[in-house]
Amino acid sequence: MSGITLQTVRKEFETGDEHVVAVDDVDLEIRDGEFLVLVGPSGCGKTTTLRCIAGLEDVTDGTIAFGDDDVTDLRARERDVAMVFQNYALYPHMNVRENIGMGLKLSSSMTSAEIDAKVQDVAELLGIEDLLGQKPKELSGGQQQRVALGRAIVRDPAAFLMDEPLSNLDAKLRAQMRTELQTLQHDLDVTTVYVTHDQTEAMAMGDRIAIMNGGELQQVGTAEEVYRSPVNEFVADFIGSPSINTFDATVEGATLHGPGGFEYTLSDPSPVEGRDRVRVGIRPEDMTLVDDGVAIDTTVLEPMGNENFLYATMGDQELTLRVVPSARPSPGDTVEFAFDEDALYLFDANSGAALKTKTDAGAPLVEEPEEPEVAE
Amino acid sequence: MREETRREAVWQFLTYAFVLLGAVVTMVPLYWIAVASTLKESEFLSSTSPRLLPGDSFLANFESLQARQNVQFVGHPGEMTQYIDLGPFYFAYDFWHLWDMGAMESSIFVAVVYTALSLLLCSMAGFAFAKYEFRFKKPIFYAILATLILPIQLLVIPLFLLMSQLGLTNNYWAIILPWAANPLGIFLMRQNMRSIPDALLESARMDGATEFQLYYKIALPTMKSSLAALAIILFLFQWNLFLFPLVILDQGKYTIPVAINQLVGAQRVYYDQIMVAAALSVIPVFLLFLFLQKQFVSGILAGAVKE
Repeated sequence: MSGITLQTVRKEFETGDEHVVAVDDVDLEIRDGEFLVLVGPSGCGKTTTLRCIAGLEDVTDGTIAFGDDDVTDLRARERDVAMVFQNYALYPHMNVRENIGMGLKLSSSMTSAEIDAKVQDVAELLGIEDLLGQKPKELSGGQQQRVALGRAIVRDPAAFLMDEPLSNLDAKLRAQMRTELQTLQHDLDVTTVYVTHDQTEAMAMGDRIAIMNGGELQQVGTAEEVYRSPVNEFVADFIGSPSINTFDATVEGATLHGPGGFEYTLSDPSPVEGRDRVRVGIRPEDMTLVDDGVAIDTTVLEPMGNENFLYATMGDQELTLRVVPSARPSPGDTVEFAFDEDALYLFDANSGAALKTKTDAGAPLVEEPEEPEVAE
Repeated sequence: MREETRREAVWQFLTYAFVLLGAVVTMVPLYWIAVASTLKESEFLSSTSPRLLPGDSFLANFESLQARQNVQFVGHPGEMTQYIDLGPFYFAYDFWHLWDMGAMESSIFVAVVYTALSLLLCSMAGFAFAKYEFRFKKPIFYAILATLILPIQLLVIPLFLLMSQLGLTNNYWAIILPWAANPLGIFLMRQNMRSIPDALLESARMDGATEFQLYYKIALPTMKSSLAALAIILFLFQWNLFLFPLVILDQGKYTIPVAINQLVGAQRVYYDQIMVAAALSVIPVFLLFLFLQKQFVSGILAGAVKE
């Protein structure tokens, strides 16, 4: 068992005349036994990064190490990692027992009796011991998923790599497998890299979350860190559901002027000093309906039961608010909202780098955001 | 609604009628061969009243075919005069001395060896073209495809020279090797193997499979039905090969098509013998088809990856 270290890992593809940088100098340290989630929008390079770790793609530049061993030039089968694929990729012509035992048969010196015993153990762990004689096509999606997991677990690999393993399951099963996976990973204590595009899944499952965009690693941190202290507007926007509301504002001294007559005077103007424009971010859950705040026009109200999502416009800016279920303005109604300055995010108008993130008493900031570029 | 049902019924009727017509057109010559092989020549060549029902002359026709001096159609226990010469494989020498091979055995032997060898080469080449990236992949593939348009008449002389330089004249390898890497087979295997999900191969790689294990543990088993179909195509191709065997083989090693050709004499055509030979030549192909038929089950890849 070991951690995984990526040093300036770069992956470029040539497709015809197109030159694509899929992974752009990513530095990442995954700790021993950690459950790290790689998350980002599609095409952000998360799956390519995972495939580089697996050895299914050669890196263009940089190194990958498992513990102290440099594995950059090793092929997939020499790396002692197991991967769970999005579509499971079970061997269609083999039954469940053969599917799970294949890895041991190919890469260990165990006898077939030992393999059978091991397969039996894993099948019992996953609750699929009754299915060992069946072919993949006879199984339900959830059962196929378990077989795919079993295939990974049975080999006692140095690391698990999972590429959106839950995305083909229906919502209920997905939630169930999510907890099951976490428990399993915790029990087995194997370093795990898990790729998903679903930020909720990432927040729920990861010990730490690594957010990628456009091939670049944006931020690595716990769910709370990336939620409360995003390094830039992209992370702030990607993490949290519904997404954070962001809009342009001009700065006059300590006062921010936004669309639709938005006006707010900062009690601590230091983040905006020397700037005439910033991006303002307010999370839907930090906005409360009041009688003397910023006026907005209701467009849609979505009752969720325990809360309501209120969609509104402030000038030409669309906003989302999470409000108490008793608040039920009708479409067209003008309501007013307020927020706490501690909950306010400010970003550089050009680079998107964070100038100010949450400063309320939630949890202490772990890392100072990078030095923002100064606006011209 | 009723109108639609009626139209559907009419379409169904037309479809069945068309298929039936196709079946009749295909079956009648086969039936004619089978029937004619049991008749005297005068019975089925009669211009006034040709018989369309089987007679009882099959054995007589067969005996006259076997009695011919210039053709040995079906072999018989050996008089230690013949053997199969497969270059280095002399171990076959004594075994094959036990049986004097006729055209039937020659054809079966050559077609079986050819089919096995060609299946191996075509599936390996198809796998490489379908699932690997390498330099000049496209030009090489198109060059292979382009050889499909070369007619055999064009190849006969260069192939003959090549085979005689290799010392393979009057040798079965001479009609096996030139087509062993069958371009049609390579094309078919490549097309079919493209349907193997990449994730399936990658997951085997993660499981520790070597590239060759990917081929024979994953690709071949999942391609069973395509391989069965290709086996029939390849077997028939070799079974029907005529011009080059005629040129390169001597009388004692003739395959069935060449042997049948010998039944056309200078003075007369021995139709009764030709009909028996033709009827018998269908049997191995028919048996092969029956044997492989159960492999034609589609959907072997079902359940591999979740759509």
